[in-house]
Amino acid sequence: MTTVRAFPRALQATLASPGGTCYRHCDRPIRVRRVASRLPGTWQIRACPSGVVSVTSYTEWTRRDPTLAVRRTLQAWSAPPSLVRRWDLRLATRHGPELGRVAERFLAQHRARGGVRVVYWRVYPFRARDGTERRLFVCLRRGHPSPVFFTAPPTAKTWGCPGCSRRARVAPRRAR
Amino acid sequence: MRGSSTSPRPQRLTIVLAPWCPHCVPLSVRNGERLAQRLGIPLRILDIDRRAQEVIADRMVRRYGDWSPDYLIPQVFLEWPDGRTEHVLTGFSERVPRTAQAWRDLLASDWFRALPKGGRR
Repeated sequence: MTTVRAFPRALQATLASPGGTCYRHCDRPIRVRRVASRLPGTWQIRACPSGVVSVTSYTEWTRRDPTLAVRRTLQAWSAPPSLVRRWDLRLATRHGPELGRVAERFLAQHRARGGVRVVYWRVYPFRARDGTERRLFVCLRRGHPSPVFFTAPPTAKTWGCPGCSRRARVAPRRAR
Repeated sequence: MRGSSTSPRPQRLTIVLAPWCPHCVPLSVRNGERLAQRLGIPLRILDIDRRAQEVIADRMVRRYGDWSPDYLIPQVFLEWPDGRTEHVLTGFSERVPRTAQAWRDLLASDWFRALPKGGRR
């Protein structure tokens, strides 16, 4: 698994956006977590300590539109995969001048390589068929090979993760 | 995104936005006004909540900008007399202060300095 192989460090810093609080949930500070995938760019998951996701982004230094590859990766990480809807993925191009002088000059020097493409995945709170409010959660426990995205009521904790419960069912603790 | 002092002056600045979006109003409108004033060109606002403007905005974003079925706003474009349309900026979905920073960086950029200007600084 590689993450930053093809993504220059000079650009990573200019695209970082720490800070903020969990909007309409707990008002606690947002944590930015980097995760790895088979794709060459960088992933950032912005979530509160309870795991409620504000936005997930994928950034790649490329000419092409990485939305399809991002969608497939997110589907593999989501339970169920249908959680990743086409219209919740939004593309942004970063040309350089809007990223500060360092990034602008770096991208001007490497123009042949193309600009920076960012794909955002934002799932707004919604109501399930039973009328309960649902929000997007992420579980980043070390035991998972990748993040697990799922929806739950906003009062839920990350231990509602279907990945964790599936592992518990599949591999029950051995008796000694 | 390209611009040089040898180019003719740009013709118009266009911002695709929605009035309820905090990245757009007042942040991008104010900065768009500042940018247009410094370049001495008119600013056009395309409100995606108004059907007639939405049609133009969709076409512009699809052709020159960052198109997605429910695309990000604001998106800023610079139009040139030779028919070129240059995508300049898309809002940062992370946070409004990040979009504000992008506007500050854009107005202080080498790219902006190199643009031929016709208005008051």
